[in-house]
Parts: sequence; structure tokens; C-alpha cells
Amino acid sequence: MPPRIRGSSCQPQLLLNYLEPVPSSSISPASALTPLHRPTASPSPKCSRAFSTTPAPQITKLRRAFKEWCADKGLMYRNAPYDQTNYMGFSRTRPFPENEHFKSEPVLSVRARNMIWEAIMVKGMPLKAVSAEFHVDMRRVAAVVRMMEIEKKWEREDKPLAHAYARAITAMLPRADLLEGENKFEPINDIHVHSYTTQQLFVPASESRQFTRADAAKAFGEHILPPDAKMRIPELVQMERNLVEGMEPREARGRFIKEAAESEQAFAERQRERALAAEERKTRVNTGRFEFRFEKINAENVGPTGRARKAAGWRYGAPHMDRRRGEVKIPTSVG
Amino acid sequence: MKQRRLLRFHGLKRPRVRQTWNKYNLFNLSRLRTPFLQSKTFFQQKWMSKSLTRGYHGEHIKEYQWERMFSRRSLAAINMDPAYMAQHDGSEQAAGRGSGRKMADGSDIPGPRNRGNLNQATPYMQMIFAPMERRLDIAIFRALFASSARQARQFVLHGAVTVNGKKMTYPGYLLNPGDMFQVDIERVMTATGQPKRPNRNQKAPKNTETSEGEEGEVAEGEATETAEGAAEGAAEGAAEGAAETVDADAAKSKHFKTLRELKTRAQNVMSMKDQVMRAKEKKALRKLLVQIKETMNRSRKADDPSVAEMNQAERELTDLLSEMSLSYTQQAAKAKKATIEWKKQQEQQGPDVAKMLRSGSAAAKVGLLTAQQRTVLLWMMRREAENPRDDSKPYATPWKPRDWMSPFAFIPRYLEVNQNICAAVYLRHPVARPGLSEVPTPFAPVLSQLAFNWYLRRG
Repeated sequence: MPPRIRGSSCQPQLLLNYLEPVPSSSISPASALTPLHRPTASPSPKCSRAFSTTPAPQITKLRRAFKEWCADKGLMYRNAPYDQTNYMGFSRTRPFPENEHFKSEPVLSVRARNMIWEAIMVKGMPLKAVSAEFHVDMRRVAAVVRMMEIEKKWEREDKPLAHAYARAITAMLPRADLLEGENKFEPINDIHVHSYTTQQLFVPASESRQFTRADAAKAFGEHILPPDAKMRIPELVQMERNLVEGMEPREARGRFIKEAAESEQAFAERQRERALAAEERKTRVNTGRFEFRFEKINAENVGPTGRARKAAGWRYGAPHMDRRRGEVKIPTSVG
Repeated sequence: MKQRRLLRFHGLKRPRVRQTWNKYNLFNLSRLRTPFLQSKTFFQQKWMSKSLTRGYHGEHIKEYQWERMFSRRSLAAINMDPAYMAQHDGSEQAAGRGSGRKMADGSDIPGPRNRGNLNQATPYMQMIFAPMERRLDIAIFRALFASSARQARQFVLHGAVTVNGKKMTYPGYLLNPGDMFQVDIERVMTATGQPKRPNRNQKAPKNTETSEGEEGEVAEGEATETAEGAAEGAAEGAAEGAAETVDADAAKSKHFKTLRELKTRAQNVMSMKDQVMRAKEKKALRKLLVQIKETMNRSRKADDPSVAEMNQAERELTDLLSEMSLSYTQQAAKAKKATIEWKKQQEQQGPDVAKMLRSGSAAAKVGLLTAQQRTVLLWMMRREAENPRDDSKPYATPWKPRDWMSPFAFIPRYLEVNQNICAAVYLRHPVARPGLSEVPTPFAPVLSQLAFNWYLRRG
């Protein structure tokens, strides 16, 4: 099949180059590239290469639209405005105009982080109390302090920090200073919605019966806990109860802090005991070069299939699956 | 895993919104509309939604891998108000005929309710890709440490990421609540900073020295220019202020007004939080420069006795400014000294510098500069040393955020990020709350729902 030539772009003058036989003397790398019968009068601006009949790529409609958008409507997204968000569609909080359920929520400002760090590390307040005071989730409080400690350590060690990056990024994000009169930062009394409780139940109960949260939990399943048992800071509920009973707000708050501190100490004590018990099960033998640690295990503890993950040792007939093709060996946790 | 090569990753013809900060992606995002679905069969609707949503959520992850991760049970949370919990045991909701008592007119009985939740449905359908957000590479992208999920993946593979202090080279590592991941600062700065621009003058014939100077100017760009302008403005303002306070009687009443204005402007420069300046500020600073020149000329013509002193002040200032353009290490050392000095001064002056300005007639002089002016200069030096010009870096220095970045800048709530050390903690799994979903997805709920239905695999 002869090479196809696109109809409209074809120029008969150019076509001549291909139809006419080339004299043998002119076949050399340099002259082969230059057509003999170059249209001298007005070469088409579309054709950058004379031997090609394909028109030069033109800017498409979409690409032109993109260029225009970059220069006009989109220009405002190019550089970040000073100290405010710059999301698509003139919204201060919604980065994706189509999705009304996702909001860019404020992050803790440097000042707020310092306040939290100071409350924990300088004043020695319990985590729960700091969380309740600033309306910041306990896990976030812990994370802030953990990372601030690393930051301070790096500062002491003269390691370079990404100050310029931090300043630029935080200027682009909505921020919370955790000051009086600001909106609450985030809900701190979250409870997980158990999938059993998402179904609709019809439970007959007499009109005179006090059908409480605990009864409702039981109706969903024997093992379902009521919200009261799932609260992250149950001491807060106790404080509110004290307030309802007429206790002075100051005294109620003092008692809350005391209870929070006690519960945290008890938790730490439990952790310590657990670590101690684990240590007692071990026998350490230090040979100078190695430290051997012996622990008593029960070889019968292999689970119903004989392949329990925590079972110790190699068992006859239970091959290791880690060499099997396609087996994922990504660690599941990092200590 | 070998990466699939994608042609037309940011295509305009068949647009897909991707997890990147690319400007083509931004354009595609601005054009993103929910397609017209009514004319399509249910299968077509699901297929289309699936391909659109998967084009954004982990397009670098193979489909079978994602299908293994998919869970039809999304996590949700609800806030329980302690005050409500303390006052009610929940039985009031089951009172009467089983759904709570009402007033005679059908309205609710006033009293405490469970506050802290929006009065909307929980958008479970926007949570399909929540398991994806657990992946290390996507979490790095969400923490704004990389400009795309693929780049984040590369960071992990190249060993620039640690999880809980240990090197982690699996981009598919699923973070557990409480895991802290850290990315190498230089990588983050490279990924999020402006790229080094090739020399625009290279096309022209090379004149060794002149072209170098020009190159510097081109590379520095606007922000540096303005920063320099600010420094100069402040410095000259300071010089002017010093000279004028010395030469008090001659043109006291005449220059008092200008002086005060200069000072307040210098103060403005000092209180400015960031190096990023807008056109208005730039303009104001330029105007200030012109004004300072004018006043200086005027005082010279007036044949002051204090001209020599003024020159000395100028010399001092030029010294200070030349210190700013020293090499990086020297600069760092200087800046350290400066910080210490600055802190001392802060202690001496008390927290409110403006108060000193008002009361002290700026007479507390160290050399010829007032303490106030020194503070301004030292602050500027400190700022400069934190973000110096350094040609050895792989990004344009002084560091500036890259273009087209700000529309993508958000940090979801399940992460807590410390940008100074480029570390973030994965606090918990993303959850849905009444009216809110924590999974950042650009698609409308209807598309997400159809995609969810696709993965339910119910024909």
C-alpha cells in the first residue's frame, strides 16, 4: 500500500519531491535531507520539514483553554496570598468544590503548640486536663509534645530545621491559636460507631420502662459497650455530674484535674508492672559478647490450626509461608 | 513492584484528577464536574465512577491490591457531650411512645441535647478510600512533604523516610495509629520548593562576569528583591532616624513628622511575619526608599554639623548589611550571636518595643543606631540566615514554595504535622462524622457511592 497522504494538508508541489526520481549523484546524507524541488515562492508555514506531508502540530483547543486559564482565571492560584488559604472556587475551607463533605480544618499554630508543650512539660499537667482545656484530642496532645521534644533536641544539636518551609506552609493553612473565644478546635469526646449499632432495631419495651443507653447497647449485642464506658475522658462526665449536683466550678475543675492525674498515674503503673512481669519471665545470661535471653514457652500453644502467628518454633507439616510466591512481607508494625 | 507507565498522566482530553500539585492537575480539577449519568446503564455509571475515583486515589497501586484493601465497613465517630451524658441516661429519647416526648405543638421539649455534631447525615460513601490513606506514601503526600503521591513513594523507596525512627522502605506500609514518620528535610525542601531555573541568559553569548551577575538577579526573583528592598528600607530608615535624633534643634520640627512616619514604617517591616510580600507592600517600601533619599538630601543641603556623624551611621549600616551577604557558615555564626544579642535586648526592653519607641525618643543608642533599629536589623539578619542563598542546594534559594501549590495545601485531621522537623504522627484512622468525611477526595458523593457499589461486586 502506498503511503497515505492526508487530504487537506497535501500540497501538490511538495508531493513532487516524492514522485520525481532523485538523481544518483545527489544521494548523500546532506543532500538527501534537502528536497530538490523546494517550493521557492512561499513555503508553507505549517511544514517545518519539507519531506513530511504531516502538518506541524498545532496547539489544540484544550491546550489553548489551559493556557488562557493559566494566564487569567487560574493566575490567582499560582502564588499563595499572604497568610490565608487559596482553595479552588473561592472557598476558604473547601479545597474540593465538588465535595461538600471534606473541609480543610485548622491546624495548630506554632503558638498553640508551644502552649500545649508548656502545659505538659513545664507545668506538668495531665494529658487529659490539657486536652479538655484546649479542646484538642489527647492523641494530638501527645503527638505535639513528642515532636516538639525532637525539635528542641535538634535545636540543641544544631541540626538544620526547615523553618522557611514551616513558615510558608503554615501561612497557607487555616490555623487555630487556641485562644479564648475561638471555636473549639476539635471534638475530644469522640466514640467509635460500632457497626452493630448502625442497624435499625425494633425492641418492644413498656412505656413505663426507663430504657437507657446501657439497655440500648445490650439490645444491639451482648458485647456492645454503652457510650458511658467508651468515653475517652470519663472524668469529664464526672465533673459535669458534680456541677449539676451544685459543686463550685473551681472545686469541680480541681477535682477533675486530680482525678485525671490519678488515672494517668494508675495507667503508667499498670504499664510498668506489665513490663516488669515480662522481664521476670526472661532469664538473661550475659557472656560478654552476647546477651542471651531465655523465656519459657509452651510448645502446645499453636492455635486451632497449629499455625498461630505467635506460636514458637518450626512445626512438622506446617511450612513457613513467607517463601511462597506473592506473599507480602511488609512489616505490620514498627516498634 | 514495577511501576506501570502512564501516558498522559495529566492529559487534557481525557482528564483525570491526580494526587499531585501540578498545574495541569489544577486545571483539570477546576473543570471537574459530575458527569451526566442518567443516560447510562448502571454498569456504565459504576464503571465510570470507579475509573474516575481510582485515577485519583492511589493510581499507582494495582487494582487487585486495592481490592484486597477495600472494606465496606467505614469507620465513623460521634461526639458525646459530657454535660449531656451527666444529665441524661438516654431514657428521655425512648420516652412516650418510643421516640421521645414532644411538646403539645409537636416541637421538642427544651433541654440539654447531645451537642458537638452537625445535624446532617454521616457521609459513609465518601470513605471508600480510607484504607488507602493508611499507606505510608499517601500519608507523606497528605502531610505536604511531597508534591505527589508518586514522589512520596520514591522518597520511601530511596530510604529518605523513617517510621518511629527506623528506616522504612516499603511505600505500602500501613501506618498504625501513633506511628511517627519523618522525611529527610532536604528532600522535602526540594519537592516543595521552587526548582532551580536554568539560566535564561545562556542563549546570549557568554560574558563571564556580567552574565553571572545577571544570573544572580534572575534567580533571586521578586521575593528576594523585595526582601532586600525591605532590609534597605529599614536600614536607611534607621540611619535617617539616628541622624535626625542627633541633629535635633536645626530641623527638629520640620523632620519630626517624617521621622515618626519612618519609624512606624520600620516597625511595620519588623512586625511583618513572612518573607512573602505582596505588590502593595513592595510599592510602599519603594516609596519609603524614595522618601528617605529625599530627606537625606535635604539635611545635607542644610549644611548640618552632624553630617560626619550621619556618614558614620551609614558606614555602620553598610557594614551590617554586608555581613548579611557573607557565606552561609559565617552567616549562621553571626546570626547566632545576633539572636543572643536580640534576646538580651528583648529582655532589657521588655516585650513591647513599640512602647519604647513612643516613650524613649529612640535615644537609647548603641553606637549611632538606636536599640530599636538594631533590633530591626538583627531580626532581618536572623531571617536571612534561616533561609540563605546557597547555590549548592538542588532547589532555588532562598527557598520559596513552588508555584500552584496553595490550592492543594490542607492537612487532614488524622495527621499531626510538625513542619520544622518534617515529621508527622498518624493519630488515628480517618473517620466520618455527621456531615463531614476526613478522606480528602475531590469527587461528589454520587460518584463515590457508585464507585463503592462497584467494589461491592454485586453485579
